[in-house]
Amino acid sequence: MSDQNIIEISGVEKRFGTFTAVSDLNLDLKKGEFFSLLGPSGCGKTTALRMIAGFQDNDKGSISIDGQDMADIPANKRPANMVFQSYAIFPHLNVGDNVAFGLRKLGLSKAEIKTRVAEALGMVELGGLETRKADELSGGQRQRVALARALVMRPKVLLLDEPLSALDKNLREAMQLEMRRLQQKLGITFVMVTHDQYEAMTMSDRIGVMFAGKLAQVDRPDVLYARPCNRQVASFIGGMNFLQARMVGDGGGQMDVDVQGFGKLTIGVNPNVEIHDTDLLVGVRPEQLEIGAEKPDGYDGYLQGEVSDVAFYGESVHYHIRAAGLDETLAVAVPNYFHTVDHQRGDTVWLGVQNASVIDLGAREHQ
Amino acid sequence: MPGVLKTETGKGLALSAPASLYVGLLVAAPLAILVAYSFWTQTYVAIDKTLTWANYIEAATDPLVRHLMLRSILIAGAVTLATVALAYPIAYFIAFRTQKKTLWLLLITIPFWSSYLLRVFSWKLILGFNGVMNSALLTTGAIDEPLTFLLYNEFAVVLTLAHAWAPFAILPIYVSLQKIDRAYLEAATDLGCNRLERFFRVTLPLTVPGIIAASLIIFIPTVGDYVTPSLVGGSQGKMIANLMQVQFGAANNWPLGATLSLVAMASVGAVAIGFVVITTALGRRIR
Ligand SMILES: Nc1ncnc2c1ncn2[C@@H]1O[C@H](COP(=O)(O)OP(=O)(O)OP(=O)(O)O)[C@@H](O)[C@H]1O
Ligand SMILES: [Mg+2]
Repeated sequence: MSDQNIIEISGVEKRFGTFTAVSDLNLDLKKGEFFSLLGPSGCGKTTALRMIAGFQDNDKGSISIDGQDMADIPANKRPANMVFQSYAIFPHLNVGDNVAFGLRKLGLSKAEIKTRVAEALGMVELGGLETRKADELSGGQRQRVALARALVMRPKVLLLDEPLSALDKNLREAMQLEMRRLQQKLGITFVMVTHDQYEAMTMSDRIGVMFAGKLAQVDRPDVLYARPCNRQVASFIGGMNFLQARMVGDGGGQMDVDVQGFGKLTIGVNPNVEIHDTDLLVGVRPEQLEIGAEKPDGYDGYLQGEVSDVAFYGESVHYHIRAAGLDETLAVAVPNYFHTVDHQRGDTVWLGVQNASVIDLGAREHQ
Repeated sequence: MPGVLKTETGKGLALSAPASLYVGLLVAAPLAILVAYSFWTQTYVAIDKTLTWANYIEAATDPLVRHLMLRSILIAGAVTLATVALAYPIAYFIAFRTQKKTLWLLLITIPFWSSYLLRVFSWKLILGFNGVMNSALLTTGAIDEPLTFLLYNEFAVVLTLAHAWAPFAILPIYVSLQKIDRAYLEAATDLGCNRLERFFRVTLPLTVPGIIAASLIIFIPTVGDYVTPSLVGGSQGKMIANLMQVQFGAANNWPLGATLSLVAMASVGAVAIGFVVITTALGRRIR
């Protein structure tokens, strides 16, 4: 093993009866990184996390934490702690005793336990709340207690199963920043399961995107956004316009393509794509399309169409454009700079695109 | 008072009236009569209605009363302990270890499909001098002559009642186990507990309400039971209710019987409250 890796998962598979919940999972997590497992409901994220925690056995493959194979190590002996989706704050104990729960097994003195509990509660900004009863806590406070109870054990790895999904939007965003800050301060590896792409992107160093039990792509958030490996990943993270294209020439990491509607463009070859072909699928992010009543200057490809829908989001306006020769409408997101909605339904508009904005998604047949 | 039924208070009173009437007639009135009787005395021919503490003094000073009261509480305590201790693993099994919960719960209620008297007589047949138990032990050669300590003593009373009460203990404990979020158990494991530690630090404290409910359901009626002791208890197994029954029956001393009932009620109440307070406090100490 590399001593940079805290968790090494290789060839892990989990079946429930005849149903394969996780298949051929290979993943190395680096020390001190914030890693997110992102995917739609039922894709096997929780199952994968529970196998790391030891609550579920893997049918195939191996998992090691800090260089030690976990096959024969039960959940209570693993150097990982978990923050449960429901938080699982013990209802018969107060906040202090909840946080001290795991410490009481370590043979520490009373004073030591007290100090460490206070320290952990301070870390999550719940200092002095030791005697508060479990049922007197707000959702956000419960989340913090769960975090403190796991962190007080000083685990090598902290596992979090949708830790923020029970919180309202504002609190969730505040906690995202706070957890990220805490993780960077402590340098503990966090493995978080989420189905919220924004949460994954704002918090993580790397994201693993999972579909139907398989890991589709593991990358930094910005790479995932710029170079998704296929249509599924591209549409799960951010918005994406998909267009058919034909490869007409390639070389030197570039290829000339004839893109549906926009014509000839020269785009970069996406290194994350497995299979290329002359029949390609390409994508363009809605915010990277330029829209104008007149033909805009300085773009590599153009298209003329009609506005079929306008959606106002506050910080941006989304236009849907129908154009001759395209099967689907194109979405265009325009930042709301001047409090204006420039185009209305039925207007004829021009779209412009740069070569660099067009993402190669590989062979169309393999989507 | 026009419109009295329209006010919140009026509506409340109207709605609770049938229940209040029912409770008044069936609980409060008999209790009042009982209290009244306890302050009267029995002369040979009639009831002397001058108020006096005489019955209470007799109940307090008579060693037989004290002895039977104490024995009743001890036997009821033993029955409660035995029943809850045996019921807990069964409830645990149903809540955590089987998928066929409904089937098991149904099986547990089967004894109720027959009359209680029938079940007590069955125990007599099992434990008796020529009973099933002795015959079996004799034929297998485990003993040479029938065991006599099986029937007509406290042991027989405890055994019979523990069997009879089992479902009453299993059900509340099962409910409190069933309510436990499985995530609590996983959290305890995650924080380093093995199965045993997890049981004592999480499962048990969370089922204290179920244990208390089960204990009260069993303890309170058992102190006042008189059928079981008179059928399988022999003279050693007699309890306070047997004495009450004598006062209301053969001895024809209703005032003393009433006093004994009230004293028994007060003792049971005191023990029960003490039990609840202590158990709750013990449950809280587990951390
Ligand atoms: N104990 C189990 N027995 C049978 N099937 C299970 C079990 N646990 C999970 N599954 C199945 O495995 C699949 C993956 O479940 P998992 O809980 O890992 O999904 P998830 O990605 O966490 O989804 P969500 O976002 O909804 O929590 C699901 O189809 C689920 O029905
Ligand atoms: Mg899940």
